[in-house]
Amino acid sequence: MLIHLTGGEVVDPVNGATAKRDVWIGDGLVVDAPKGAAADETHDVSGCIVMAGAIDIHSHIGGGNVNTARLLLPENHRAHQPRPANTPLSNAGWSTFQTGTLYAQMGFTTVVEPAMAPYTALHTHLELADIPIIDKATLAILGNDDFTLSLLRNGKSPAMLDDYVAWVIGSTRALGVKVINAGAAAAFKENVRSFSLDDTVPEYGVSSRKIVKSLQGSVTRLGVPHPLHVHANNLGIAGSADTAAATIAATEGVPLHLAHLQFYGYGTEGKRKFSSEAARLAEAVNGNPDVTIDIGQVMFGQTVTISSDVMRQFSAIGNASPKKTVILDGDGNGGGGIVPYRYKQDYYGSLQWAVGLELFLLITDPWRVYFTTDHPNGAPFTAYPELFELLMSSDARDAKSTELNATALGLTTLASVRREYTLEEIAIMTRAAPAKLLGLKDRGHLGAGAIADIAVYRKGRDIAKMFREAALVFKNGDLVVKNGKVTHYRWGKTLHLNPPPDKAMVKRMQAYHEERYGLSLDWFTFPDSAIQRPEPFAEVIS
Amino acid sequence: MSVAWIGSQPVPLMDAVRNAAKLLASSRCPVFTLDADVHGTRSAIALAERLGGAYDHAAGDLLAREVALFTDHGGMFTTPGEARRRSSLIVIVGEIPPAHHELLQAWADSQPDLGDKHKRSWFHIDGTEAAEAGKLARKLKATPLRGDRLSLPAALGVLRAALQNQRIATSLTNVDRLKKALTTAQFPVFVFSGTSGETAGLVMLQGLIADLNKTGRASSVFLPADDDAWGTVLTSLWMTGFPPRTGFSNSLPSYDPGRWDIQRMIRDKEADLHVWMSTRGGETPPRGGKIPLISLSKTNSPTSGAKITISVGKAGIDHDGVSYSSRTGTFRAVEAARPSQLPSVSNIIGQLAQALPGQKALPC
Repeated sequence: MLIHLTGGEVVDPVNGATAKRDVWIGDGLVVDAPKGAAADETHDVSGCIVMAGAIDIHSHIGGGNVNTARLLLPENHRAHQPRPANTPLSNAGWSTFQTGTLYAQMGFTTVVEPAMAPYTALHTHLELADIPIIDKATLAILGNDDFTLSLLRNGKSPAMLDDYVAWVIGSTRALGVKVINAGAAAAFKENVRSFSLDDTVPEYGVSSRKIVKSLQGSVTRLGVPHPLHVHANNLGIAGSADTAAATIAATEGVPLHLAHLQFYGYGTEGKRKFSSEAARLAEAVNGNPDVTIDIGQVMFGQTVTISSDVMRQFSAIGNASPKKTVILDGDGNGGGGIVPYRYKQDYYGSLQWAVGLELFLLITDPWRVYFTTDHPNGAPFTAYPELFELLMSSDARDAKSTELNATALGLTTLASVRREYTLEEIAIMTRAAPAKLLGLKDRGHLGAGAIADIAVYRKGRDIAKMFREAALVFKNGDLVVKNGKVTHYRWGKTLHLNPPPDKAMVKRMQAYHEERYGLSLDWFTFPDSAIQRPEPFAEVIS
Repeated sequence: MSVAWIGSQPVPLMDAVRNAAKLLASSRCPVFTLDADVHGTRSAIALAERLGGAYDHAAGDLLAREVALFTDHGGMFTTPGEARRRSSLIVIVGEIPPAHHELLQAWADSQPDLGDKHKRSWFHIDGTEAAEAGKLARKLKATPLRGDRLSLPAALGVLRAALQNQRIATSLTNVDRLKKALTTAQFPVFVFSGTSGETAGLVMLQGLIADLNKTGRASSVFLPADDDAWGTVLTSLWMTGFPPRTGFSNSLPSYDPGRWDIQRMIRDKEADLHVWMSTRGGETPPRGGKIPLISLSKTNSPTSGAKITISVGKAGIDHDGVSYSSRTGTFRAVEAARPSQLPSVSNIIGQLAQALPGQKALPC
């Protein structure tokens, strides 16, 4: 099958300047213009932008905590707008089916669930396998589990930690590793209520910094393409910028990804002791090439916060809206908290909104800043089109600012920042850079040999509309979206690494689980066949 | 051996499938009673969506009580693994289903290796309604917490007040012993199930746990009344956004535990076809209602009153599958213990979908 996209303006920074050129798809891949061959299918995309499919590196789309949020909040699902009825389960509120549909309609073709608890990996993968169209991947959470903490307390060799990390990545089918408020979930079980980078977990006497540095080292030594993905300490509290700055300063030449930096962009200035430190953090990021970050932009309205940072979520119970929450002290790296929340256009909400935008606009290198709302924590991913508009239009920011709390905005630099993202920068931030960060060489660009994940947008003055309803979307060369609606269902794959397990570590894991949980290891692991879809996984060779 | 029947007559499987598909295609309001592993449940929900039906689990009433704790309130929870390793003080709340007694006994036979690491002590709070609960409590040597003719929700209310040092008119036995134990236990855990009592009592329990967490730590372990049923809840949530007692109209799912109570719909003659599943075997469909019945059950004889019966296997016994397990508080891949020729629910539902007009495969 040869498909020809003709007349479009191709925005593909990896392969050259933006220009009008044709794109050819052959057997699911982007191919060079064939000599003498006629296309089986031609799409005239004159007046359109052609980009690679977008990649979301941090969006909570599946797994135990996401599902618990569904259970806690059936009323939230009802609020979703009905979707077209021509696709199976496409009307199903906040479901796996709708997740794939909505992402695809915006031109996203790969999404990473960034918080998979190793013991609930099967649950996560069952959900991801039911998300249609797009490819998925997960990051396995480590850093609060007894095994890691015991290794560090007992001074075991880095090689042993490497073997453990490799076993976790392999057995859970993960693409990388995330650490969430390192050590805090373990400390919270012992009634510790706040936890910073140099605090220690009582049971183990190991500091949060030590956990982060050790896992960062393991991930790097193992050759995992994605640097350690860090959810730092003190998320969301006034003064958290100090923690983020300390974490950024702790990279020491080793790559590290700092998640949802917006939630750490707060200082203690002003009457309310809650101010923006975005400019300082942006400077810290700009000055440290080891660091990549994603934003976790706040947009206004009802959402639900879902996080494995159980200590933080527990402290937020009082702000729940509506007033119901779930707090789970899970095994090791599992657990977390579900706290529904409404971002209001008041002082606090306005400041958070501005901090996110400041970070987007003040961090200069689009290869090191990633487009996220930390779905659904800052906002549902369905708010992305409006966020693109805010980044690409200072007029749109000014217009929105007039509705917001002037005192809060006055404590930020937002009004003075006139930068507007170009389409090339958008393509880098949402396509090329995520592919590079995750080690996915086969996507994020439109060069020959890339998989044909392609989004075509109709150019127009209404930027949000352009990104909300892709004119065409191809996934592996299949046309899946036309005029903003899904026209064809297919099943994507979950991308994962497969480091060979160390035999001694497998034996150790068997003994550990039998001794500590009274259960054999096969209670915690699973074969691919458990997913019951043809080839649900695809191994990424790093 | 026959695996399919029309009425009481053995027939080839494909004949039964074709006839069942005809019934499904002509139904205006089919209802589904689920009892299968994750993959059987996924298929059944997808079929219900296609046909504009509604679904519930066989243990629907008890499940609705458990679901309501979450949809209406929430709470603080921990996993069985964490309780085993960290909790030196366990309070059993009301009646815990026998299926979980072995798990609790295993905790009793082990010593916490995290947290305070003290020898585990056990308490048991119950009310006048928990007749069977005493046996387990005696086995675990649990200290009883009981009030004079108090129901469990009332006893939990009294305990909550006592732990807050509020003055009230009545008290529970041994409450001072519990108070003393709480002063040294770093991570006390309350174990409950849907069988422990009405939702109001479970909400009171969560209030008590929230009180304890103001200054210290405490949590609860939820052991579902039926593991397979809870697996159905979780599967339903990701597939539709809602727990069971969900129905589809114009392919839009809606959750309404009153409206989509399948037994009520049958009784009130809203439904005109009942697809009843039972993979655990030895069960009969609930009485009441005279609408046509398609039975997908683990049986070697036709289901009484069914228009069509198709025998199916159980995941973990007849075929591989994925089931929820309270041992880990999540899903587990289960291998066939005694592989048989019996088809899985998922397989049969796939065949039913293919036999419907349009012959379209299900997404699951």
